[in-house]
This record gives sequence, structure tokens and C-alpha cells, in this order.
Amino acid sequence: MIRKTLRCLMLAGTVLAAPLGASAQVLQVAVDQSPAGLDPHLVTAFSSFQIVNGPIYEGLTAVDAGLAVVPSLAASWTVSADGKTYTFSLQPGVRFHDGAPMEAADVIASFHRVMDKAIGSPLASRLATVTTMAAPDAHTVVLTLSEPTAPLLSALAGIAIVPRGMEANKDALQKQPDGTGPFMFKEWQPNGFILLAKNPHYWRAGLPKLDGVKFNIVPESATRQVGIGSGQYAMLPNIDPATALQLKGRPGVALQQTLELSYTLLGMNTSKPPFNDPRVREAVNYALDRGQMVTAALFGAGVPGGPLSPALTQWAVPTSAFPCYRTDPAKAKALLQAAGLTLPVAVTMTVLPRQDIKDIAQVAQAQMDKAGFKVTLRNVELGQFIQDWRNSNFEMFASANGGSVDPDDYFFRTFRTGGSTNVFKYSNPEVDTLLDQARGTVDQAARKAAYDKVQRVLACEGPVAHLAYAQLFTALRGNVHGFRIMANRSLAGLAETSVAP
Amino acid sequence: MLGFAVALVAVQAGLAVAAPLVAPYDPLAQDILARLQGPGAAHWLGTDQFGRDVLSRILFGCRASLAIAAASVGAALAVGGSLGVLAAFYRGWADRVVMRAMDVLFAFPVMLLAIGVVAVLGPRPGTAAVAIAVVYTPIFARLLRAPALAVCAGEYVEAARAVGARDMRILLRHVAPNLASVALVQTALLLSSAILVEASLSFLGLGTQPPSPSLGLMLAEGRNVLMLSPWSALFAGAAILLLAFGLNLLGDALRDTLDPRLRGPQ
Amino acid sequence: MRRVLVPRLAELAVVLFGVSVIVFLMIRLIPGDAVAIMLGANTEVTPDRIAALRGRLGLDQPIVVQYAHWAWAALRGDFGTSLWTGRPVLQEILEHLGPTLELTLLALGLGAGLAVPAGCVMARLRGGWVDGAMRVVTVAGLTVPSFWLGIVMILALATLAPALQALGYVPFSADPLGNLGRMVLPAAALALPILASLSRLVRSAMLDALGQDYIRTARAKGLAERVVVYRHALANALIPFVTSVGITTGYLLGGAIVVEQVFAIPGLGQLILGAIAERNYPLLQATILVVTAGFVAVNFVVDLLYLALDPRVRP
Repeated sequence: MIRKTLRCLMLAGTVLAAPLGASAQVLQVAVDQSPAGLDPHLVTAFSSFQIVNGPIYEGLTAVDAGLAVVPSLAASWTVSADGKTYTFSLQPGVRFHDGAPMEAADVIASFHRVMDKAIGSPLASRLATVTTMAAPDAHTVVLTLSEPTAPLLSALAGIAIVPRGMEANKDALQKQPDGTGPFMFKEWQPNGFILLAKNPHYWRAGLPKLDGVKFNIVPESATRQVGIGSGQYAMLPNIDPATALQLKGRPGVALQQTLELSYTLLGMNTSKPPFNDPRVREAVNYALDRGQMVTAALFGAGVPGGPLSPALTQWAVPTSAFPCYRTDPAKAKALLQAAGLTLPVAVTMTVLPRQDIKDIAQVAQAQMDKAGFKVTLRNVELGQFIQDWRNSNFEMFASANGGSVDPDDYFFRTFRTGGSTNVFKYSNPEVDTLLDQARGTVDQAARKAAYDKVQRVLACEGPVAHLAYAQLFTALRGNVHGFRIMANRSLAGLAETSVAP
Repeated sequence: MLGFAVALVAVQAGLAVAAPLVAPYDPLAQDILARLQGPGAAHWLGTDQFGRDVLSRILFGCRASLAIAAASVGAALAVGGSLGVLAAFYRGWADRVVMRAMDVLFAFPVMLLAIGVVAVLGPRPGTAAVAIAVVYTPIFARLLRAPALAVCAGEYVEAARAVGARDMRILLRHVAPNLASVALVQTALLLSSAILVEASLSFLGLGTQPPSPSLGLMLAEGRNVLMLSPWSALFAGAAILLLAFGLNLLGDALRDTLDPRLRGPQ
Repeated sequence: MRRVLVPRLAELAVVLFGVSVIVFLMIRLIPGDAVAIMLGANTEVTPDRIAALRGRLGLDQPIVVQYAHWAWAALRGDFGTSLWTGRPVLQEILEHLGPTLELTLLALGLGAGLAVPAGCVMARLRGGWVDGAMRVVTVAGLTVPSFWLGIVMILALATLAPALQALGYVPFSADPLGNLGRMVLPAAALALPILASLSRLVRSAMLDALGQDYIRTARAKGLAERVVVYRHALANALIPFVTSVGITTGYLLGGAIVVEQVFAIPGLGQLILGAIAERNYPLLQATILVVTAGFVAVNFVVDLLYLALDPRVRP
């Protein structure tokens, strides 16, 4: 009886809601979080990043689905023999959404904006070695560097080109983006949706194929699943394994997947006991069972992680090369005792307030408690977490990092003595020398050799126990074509996406 | 009705208190290989994402819920009740100041004030209890002030004053006992709603934090795997419902039994 | 009427003042450096940025001056701009107000509308096993967590009507049918506890009224039982009903916060939760102030209504 009534009610709902499905060429996307601002030089959250970078804005370069650097707003470039001068030729005929042509002055203004202290862009460090910028003509940009900087080209992919005149304006772009990308910002109903419309003047011929993209904000995972099952939403981008597993095999829903660049980690403070002793850090690695973590927190969709993502096939050393990745609680206890500690060793783990990290932290706690530790989880709010992280006010933390395409971008600032995000206060002269060498050369083989050594050192006694790289999924309705999921979560592929009627 | 309500609450409270003895498993023990199981012989109510026993977690969760509810309502009764009674006893400006302050707190919608308090204090253990106590303090103050006024105006209080009894003695010996039944009814009802508020806060990620077993948190964690295994979320929700139901029924039945005048519209 | 109105208005002013002080102090009571925590959620924290935000929030002035500035601006409807989006806070609140208002009004209408007949039935069947069973059911309805109910509904939706496309929110003005179709489930989830509490209220008010002299008179006059119950008893039983509808709005708001989360409705609840997640304290502060002031106003109006309805409480 109740079932029947419910069904009647729901059928009534179907009839009532039916006219909405009609506009098929606007892709209905469901995301979990409202973006916190839309300024491409200021946003840090994935919720903003995935809407802004790619669909609305582009950089001089881009990263393709294979994680290789390819031309974008710069049609081509040359690098001087000493590796210190980069000359970019801009793509001709590119216009901003407001109709103004995109020229060298805009590129230089954008870089100035990123480097401006008053703007305070988190991207500033990527341009740290740029000393002068010049525009010999409207379609050429010359960057001079203080020293060779191998990761510059991949870094440029993340720096959006915005119209000149925004250098001192912190507010305008947060509300009203104006880029060169395939889609133009149309409407934002906070916590409701963000609507993008086709950019009719887009420089890549024949693109985009869609008339628009609507990002619906749907916080509840179950609700998003119901929505894509019914066809109300055509895409759930960048979803976690738990959600993907629940969608697997659902009629009309296809899943794309790739290994993520971002990873989960346990960070250890090497400036105070017990983690100032490398043996204790090694013990943590022996205590962990990364395979079990992948099973429990990632539902089997992921791989145990070393310092670099296996997605970076040209760089990553396989985890089988790291002896401490073999789970061995007895060995962990022995190492702790060798370090002169009485068991159990009490440590406090600060946890990033995010569901997947809370999950991972609970598993890590259970595993470490079996191997001579006594872990207390400390749950804090995000602001507090970041403050403590920045001030090295932790014994240990569980967190996630967005990965980088070039190893230097992660290693140099994180593990070099005095690095800008070396919150672990880690200092190892051998690692420092290797990192300096690898940064100063553009010889691929020499860089690879140096980074191989760095990975071997860091894996077992570094300040970070890398845990796992998750499989990243995007769910699509069966009639959505042309989209390709990317390891860095970019939705640039929306340009080539189309919906069959 | 009263007998049924008392029995129900007694069983629940007994199970919660005895959780360490009766729970079949350690509520934190993970068995990854046995995760997301439905109800079965080994795990009566199934297992969660980490292979933890849902029944054990619910028992410990009830224990935590009841503890938070008891602590917060107890604190609210102590603080709010005292304020209300003192205001009635001393009258004058003290009464006005206290009761206006209570009016101000009372003006906030319950969840909004609780969320505000939690946002200010951050997700520490005990924050939810503090938030609920703050929210319920004005309710007790307002509720107890009115009957306290009547009692204080009564002849035996006058008489006690006349023979020179000290204020404290009058309050404890003569005033408080007369308010007990009103306080008791309201305590039971507020315990019931405290369970719900705590569960809501935990559900929103603002209350109890993992890995502690908490009913609201189990529901929040369980909803992420709802389509794979709805058991953890469903049973946790049912447990919240049962706890709050028993206490509410108890309050209701107590009201009917203790004070016929309290029946009907409030 | 004026003799009643003036002191009540004075009381209202005092309460609103107190509410504003508490809300004002909220941001200043956050342990640690609130400004650093606010910035920490979204951007790099530099001393320059901390100083800039501190200046923007007026935290560098004496506290009384801060309050005066803040309260004066708030009175004029100026709550500043949202920390991250740069939009006026008032605009953000107004944009989120519509869906919540609609959801709560629908739930209230649904709950209150069904409560009257349900309460009447319970009153007429009093004492029997039906009455007892209904009582247990209503207590259960009163204590069912609405977020759980919402999740169960989503689960039911997925199994029973997998093709239904009725999630999210469309404004009533844009698509009236689509709007109502999407609001049915969330409003029902929110309405159940109201239905339970109000039907109990109607029941006891009816029983009260049926025992009064004028009802006995009416019966003695030989009026049909139906007329007695509905014309006379119900009219009087509705007075406490109206008052408690006012109190219910407070509950509705709390329920709406979680129900909006489950059904993806861009209302005040989403605004509040988002503000907490982003550490957008000025927005949180303004939202709590506006909502509480609205809540106080509703109760004030209900109070007046009560005075107008019930001749006995008129002085």
C-alpha cells in the first residue's frame, strides 16, 4: 500500500518534472561543492579549480591526457641553449570572452598579477625564477630566468591568462570570469548552479560542441547517484572510488578512470621526538599495510604509493624497490626499540577534515597500533589544520596533496632544506645536492637518475609516508561522447564533449 | 503507558551502560576483509566500510549519545534551573536581567545556535555537549521560573522566612522539591531532543569525530556507501529514532502521571 | 491594544539588541587567530593579508566602536561583502532565502493541514486502542530524524522510481510544476514531525474544548455532534494551535538545514554550512542574525495574533 502510494507520488513527480530534460545540448554536471570564488589566480579548492581552469581559462601551455606538456595559447616556443630564455609565439586570432584580442600584453599582465604580493596568488612561487618579461611584438613573449628552470613549461599550464587591466583588481574576477576558454561564464546561483555558455569565438575550430555546461551543486553523494541513474545529470566528474563502485553496472551509466596525481600521505615532524629519529619513520612504513588501505578506504580502486605517482611513468620508481613497503609489524617494533623507545610509542595524528582522509587515518591508526605505536587522532577544522601545518605544529598528520607533473615542483619545495613547504623541517644534505643538480639541468637522463636516488632515500626514511594513489573516476551517461578524464582532474576535455540526442 | 516507557528507556540505558560487556566486538576493531556485510550470524547487524561491527558500534554510539545528552541536559538543568528559581526568588532587577538574557538566548532557533556555538568552539570533544547545554539553558530557566514564582509566594515560604531560615535552606528545602515534577518531565523531553540535535550535528560533521562510535556519525559515514550497503546508515538511524522515542514517550507519560494540570495545551 | 503593544515592542527591541550583541561577539570568541583561520581555508596566509582582512573587518578598533559600526551598518541592511566571492552578503542571503522559505511553508502547510483532521479523529476516538496506537505513532513521528528520513526517501527513490528526475531546485517562477514536483519529498520529510506534534496538540485542545460548558450547552440544544465538534470545539482548539505554529518555525529551520543538504536545495542551510566550511565568518554571522531576527519577528506576530484571537488574554 505504502509502496503503491509512494510510486504514485513519484510518478506524479516524473510527469511534473519532465519538461526539464528537453534542452539536451547543455551538459548537466553534478558536483558536490559550490566553488569558493572563480578568480583563477586565487582559487585553491578543487571545486573552483575544475570549473575555472580549462573550461573558462587557458594557459600558455596545457597538459594533455597523457600528462605531456602541449601548446595551448602559445602555439610554439623556443628555449635558449643555457636554458634561461624562453620565447613564446602566441596563437593568433584568440579573443577573450568580452571580445578583446588576447595579446602579449595580456600574458605579461597576467604574470605580473600572479607575482604581485598584494594579489597574493598561491601560484607566485611557480614564477619565482622569472626576472624579466618582454613583448617584442603583440604575438611574442620572452621570459628571462635567473637560472634554468626545468619545470617552467608544466607550471605555465596552470597559470590562466586573463585580460590586462586586472593587475590590481582582487574582486572582479571572483564573480565575473573573463578568459579565452571554450566556455563563457553566464550565471551563478550560489549553492544552486554555475552555468557556462558556448564561446562562439573559440580559437580551436569547430569547438566546443556543446551549447553550454551547467554545474549543479549537489552535496549529497547518494543524491548525485540517483540523479545520474535517472539521467537528470549527465556527468559526475572526478568522483571517489566509493561513489564509482556504487555506480558500476548501473544501466545507462559509463565510468571512465585514471590513476590520480594526487595522493594521501602521513607527514612526520623531523624536528622533534619521536620522528626526529629516521628509524622511527622507517618503523611507520613497516607498520603500514598500504594494500589494506587501498581496500578499505579506496574500495580497492587505487595503488600503494611511493613518492611519485605511478601515473608519471617516466619518473616513478616502482614501490617494489622500497624494502620498507613490505608490511612487518615485528620489524617496526624492533626498529622502535632500537631507537631506544618504550612501547607503545604515543603519537598524535592531526587529520585533514575530509571524508577520505578521515577514512585513511582510521585505518592507519589501527595498523600502527598493532606495530608498537599508540595513535591518537586529532580532528580539527580546516583553518586550524592549515595553520598547524604551516607552523610545523604537529607530530604527525594525515593529509592529501595535489600532485605535480614535474618531480621538481613537489620535491624541491617539500624536501630541500628550508624549502617553502618543508613543514617537516627535514634536512638531508644528500637529498639537497641531488635536487639542486636535477633542477639545474635540462638533460632528461641526468634528472631521472637524480630523482631515482631521491625517491629511494625518501621512501623509507623521508618525513612523508606516502600512502596511496586513488583511482579517479568520472561517471557519464551513455550518450555523452568525446570527454576524456585527466589525472590532474582538469575538465578541459569538455571542449570536445558532445551529447547524442 | 508509563510502564512501557520506563521499561523501554531502562532497557536502552542498560544496554548502553553495559555496552563494554554486551557488545560482541570492539567497536573500533577493523576487519577489512569482512567489510560492508549485511546482517548475518557473525555480525547481527552487519559491518561498516572498515569491517567494524555495526551492532557494537551502535551500542557504544547509544552510550555516547546518552552521555552527551545527559551531560548537556544536566548542565542546562543546573544552570538554567538555578537561574530561573533564583530570579523568581529574588525578583526585582536580578529577575529582569536574568530573564531578558534568557529571552535573548531563547530567541535563536535551536539548530542555528548550536551550529554557531560549535563553529566558534571548533570540533573538539565535548563541543556538542556545550552547544546543546547553551541552547537548553533558557528553556529550563523560563520553565521553572513561573512555578517557582508561585511557590515562593506560598505561605510556607513566607513562614520559613519569618522564622529566619537562610535563603539557601529555603530554596533547597521548600522551593526545589515543589518544582521536581515539572523539571523531571522537561528533562525527559529535552533528553530526547538532545539525542536528535547531537545526531544532527554529528551528521553535519560538527559533532563527534571519528573514529569514536556515534550514531549521527555512523549515519553520515554510512550514507557514502548507501547504495552498496545501506545497513549501517539504516540501523544507526533506527537507533537514534528508538532512543529519542523512548525518552519522549517517557516524558509524555510522566507528564500525564505527575501533574494532570500539565496535560493539554502548553 | 496599545497598552499591550508598547511593552511588547520594548521587549522585542531588547531581545533583538541582545541577539545582535551575541552574534557580534561570535567572531571574536573564536579561539586562536580568527583572521588567520579564515584565510587559512582558502589562500596563502601572509602578514599583509592578515592585516588587510583585520582592517576590513574592523578588528583593529576598540570593541565598542566595532559594535557601533557593525550594528549601524546592519540596521541599514549593509552586512559587507562575502569574504571569497566579493558579493554583498545581503544579496547572498536574499538569494538563498526563497528556497528555504518555500520549503518551510510547504512543510508547514502540509503538516498543519493534515494535523487538524488527524487531531480531530484522535480526539473523537480517545481512550480506545486506536488513540493509544496513534499516540505511539505520533511520538515516533516527532522523534524521527528528518535527515534520516530524507536519506531513506532517496534510497526509496532509487529503488522504486529509478527514472525520476526530480532532484535539485528550480524556482517556482521559472517552472511551477517542476518546482512543486521537486519539493514534494523534502517538504514531506520536514512535515512529518510537525504533523506529529500539531496533531497531538489539536487532540488535547479538542478534548479540553469538548469538556467546556458551552459545548455541553450546544449539545443540550440538540445540535448535531458534527456541528458541535467542528464548529464550536475546533474553533476554540485552534487558538493554541496558532501559537505553536509560531514555535514550529524554529524547528523547521533546523530541519531545513539538513534536508536541504540531502535534496540539494540551495537554501539558507546550504549557505550556513558553506560559510562554516569556508570559514566565512562574516557571512555566517550575518545569516544567523538575519534568520534569528526573522524568527523573533514571526513569534512576535504570532503573539499578537494570539491576543487578537483569544478574548480571555486581552487585558
